[in-house]
Amino acid sequence: MSDPLSASPVAGMLSRPFTRRTLFAAALAGTALAMVGCTGSDADVSDAVTPAQVDQLAAQVQVQEELVAAYDRAFAASPELALAAAVLADQAREQLDRLRAAAPGNTAAAASTTGPSATAPVVDAAGARAYLRAQVAAAADAHAAACPDFTGGRAAMLGSISAGLRGQDGQLA
Amino acid sequence: MADDGSSTSSTPSPTAAEDAALQDALAAAHTAIWGYGVVGAALPAGARKPVVTAEQAHRDVRDQLATLLTSRQVDPVPAEAAYALPFPVLSPIDAAALAVTLEEGTATAWTWVLDQATERSTRELGVAALTAAEQRAVGWRPSAGRAPVTSAFPGLANS
Repeated sequence: MSDPLSASPVAGMLSRPFTRRTLFAAALAGTALAMVGCTGSDADVSDAVTPAQVDQLAAQVQVQEELVAAYDRAFAASPELALAAAVLADQAREQLDRLRAAAPGNTAAAASTTGPSATAPVVDAAGARAYLRAQVAAAADAHAAACPDFTGGRAAMLGSISAGLRGQDGQLA
Repeated sequence: MADDGSSTSSTPSPTAAEDAALQDALAAAHTAIWGYGVVGAALPAGARKPVVTAEQAHRDVRDQLATLLTSRQVDPVPAEAAYALPFPVLSPIDAAALAVTLEEGTATAWTWVLDQATERSTRELGVAALTAAEQRAVGWRPSAGRAPVTSAFPGLANS
């Protein structure tokens, strides 16, 4: 069930961090930070996942599905919020897509059968923003807590998604 | 002591790759500390509070990383005497754009740490530092005229 990093969409998506000498040189050249291959064969081994991690990654997919559903729910309740936060919802969907793609064996099929919780709360216009913010924060918490349980590209992805959601939380405040 | 993240012994340290990534994160912190001096100088005095806060946050991370690396018998990379700016910083908008550059570079360094880390405690540190960098970036992007203000994948290529 485990996927080596080399077979995962996670592979190769990391940019090398800037160094003290290259940060400004890279920016001066008008380029993004230099891209390199993510990791070598050693990291392929380190990024292998255990059966427990497979389950945990599927759980993180579910967390993100719940968040995407929360965006839909909040937007249905508040068209004003839908206009203001459409970009955030798009980003949450991008995160879900990447999580699904990175899950060993690809959990998309399983996710489509389980989907978000069937017992959805009722959200009204007045409470839509606060509701959504709580859901974003909860998802960020969940991904941050899961991140250290993984290694390699999956740890980086979960950490990045969590950080991105923290940024969204701030925007919704 | 080694200065490149490697161990002094012939056998590679089990944390050699992680240490090298931490050195990059430390270099990013040095760069950010220097860069925020430029950011602050280009802002009116009344707008410098977030600069002071951000600079202190990078100093704290710098000190934490230096302590961690030293405990592993690795020489922390020093700061450069100065750095070349990516663009002239002549206005508050330029200053905010530089701050975004600093924080996004920091975020990239920390996602690399997460990728390379072998120690759980390092990944815990990494996700916290990455999150803090993105939160600061979110604060600066509007002033820099950047949209969207948030990022789906801080520190990672979005392709």
